[in-house]
Amino acid sequence: MSTAAAPASAALAPAPVFRPKRFTLGNIGLYAVMGIISLFFLFPIYLIFLIAFTPANYTIYSGRPPLIPPQLTWSNLQTGLTAPNSPFLPSMFLSLEVAFFVGALAILIGIPTAYGLSRLGSRLAYGLTTVLFVVNMLPSITIAVPISVVFIKIGLYGSPISIGLAQELLALPVTVFLLVGAFQGLPRDLENQARVDGAGRMQAIYGNLVPLIVPALVAAFLLAWMLSWDESTFALILYNPATSATLPVNIFLYFTGRGSPVVGVAFSFVATIPVIILTVFLQKYLKGEDLAAGVRG
Amino acid sequence: MALAHRDGLEPAPVATFFERHQDQLIPFLFVLPALVYVGYFAFYPMFQTIVYSFQTPILSFTYYNYQANVQSGLYSWISNTLWLTAGALALQFGLALGVASILNRTFRGKTAFATIAILPIGIATVVAGEVFNQIFPGTGAGYANSILASVGIAPVYWLQHPWLALTVVIIADSWKNTSLVIIILVAGYATIPRTLYQAAAIDGAGALRQFWHVTLPGLRGFIVMALLIRGAQEVNIFQLAYIMISSYPQLLTVQVYLLWESSGGVPYLASAVSTVLLGIVTVFIVVVIVLGGRR
Repeated sequence: MSTAAAPASAALAPAPVFRPKRFTLGNIGLYAVMGIISLFFLFPIYLIFLIAFTPANYTIYSGRPPLIPPQLTWSNLQTGLTAPNSPFLPSMFLSLEVAFFVGALAILIGIPTAYGLSRLGSRLAYGLTTVLFVVNMLPSITIAVPISVVFIKIGLYGSPISIGLAQELLALPVTVFLLVGAFQGLPRDLENQARVDGAGRMQAIYGNLVPLIVPALVAAFLLAWMLSWDESTFALILYNPATSATLPVNIFLYFTGRGSPVVGVAFSFVATIPVIILTVFLQKYLKGEDLAAGVRG
Repeated sequence: MALAHRDGLEPAPVATFFERHQDQLIPFLFVLPALVYVGYFAFYPMFQTIVYSFQTPILSFTYYNYQANVQSGLYSWISNTLWLTAGALALQFGLALGVASILNRTFRGKTAFATIAILPIGIATVVAGEVFNQIFPGTGAGYANSILASVGIAPVYWLQHPWLALTVVIIADSWKNTSLVIIILVAGYATIPRTLYQAAAIDGAGALRQFWHVTLPGLRGFIVMALLIRGAQEVNIFQLAYIMISSYPQLLTVQVYLLWESSGGVPYLASAVSTVLLGIVTVFIVVVIVLGGRR
């Protein structure tokens, strides 16, 4: 494999340094591979834009949809967003309400949980982390069905709170893993010092520690927000057809034969823009150790 | 406690249970609300599902929910789900190992490539399903066929054969979820000391042998973890598949949804399929716990 001789890695991996002739070749190979992989990742995103801004008879209603738009239009978005009876506005408000609820709750429960885990003995902390990790692996649809029965019983069915409480199951574990890392990064003496100075434990946590992990808190909030914004299984089982559904659920319904796909296209586009921006913004906080519940090799 | 000594406080001569575990008890109390929450909203519904699966609408015990589903094809739903899981894991790991090993180098444009590789995380599952439905529809149209037509290949009906339909779902799902595996493997790469590669190179190991003898052992914990997380999530794949291939071939999750929906929210029949799903996921969970305990 001559691709191993890429010059860029020469500074770190010494082997190729001795064979300078292979640099260029390996380089071209590497960039070619990256180009193909990038194309694979970018093509569907390009299509989201293409389908949103091209007349539907050149896209979803075409037998041979062209890859370059013959003409551009705003009409798909207009149809989707402003048509009479379009569920767009109520749908977006519900999505926003739920996402902010999930983000806020993730922080509210996440701070004490992460603090507790960072102060527990390693065996107990490991056991409790595993419990949270397992929650992330459970099938949403398995959990959603009995939860819907409970919410119908207590009259919360379809409310933003009921959808948010279910989605929090996905957001809380990741939030907690991220915040545990942040708490562990703080010097232990900070808390001890505050306690010696007469602060209570709560005061030490919220007055002295929390202000130092604000970036991690913002990241955790946005990550939870994003998970909720994109989540569709709980939102599908727990929405009330008589009132409103979240954006992903409406997209799902419009693409499984319950409305015009053009409306679904418009919804998809609008739902996608904020999360693409968030993903780029959150990139450095998306850490493998957090997503894998703190595996360290 | 070191602090107590430094302050000149005498440790209590005979500690009660509470005193001995005080440093553990209070942190535990901080974790408790989260435990109560996941207990009530995740584990209790899980057991509720198992109970429903053995109940009739008048709450008497029955095997009927399982028998009826076996009659309708439960075994084929299981095998479709497992094939999909296996195929998706293979594709995602091949791709993610490649991308992670590229990201392990330093080169011009690395940040841009890393950003591109994680973008799909931000695309909602239903949107990914919709877009891939436009790429691989069952009608002979679609963007994949546009590309094939440009090189003179006749249109493919992507949903004609169950294996072909599963394959396009595997591609779509891998597009959406490989990013997660990449992130985990990149974290793994960061834990492998550079000196190991240097030592291997001095011993005359080429790139392939370095990968086999240094990279793979170094990544093992991360690979196993990522396989288990993705494996469990793969078994739970639902809307992406439903939007793309509807019920042909049928998957466990889609069947749960259809049974639940067609019964107007009556959970009994759906819960039997749910419980089977839970059983498969439990295998992954048990492996996580066993491996974790050994660490």
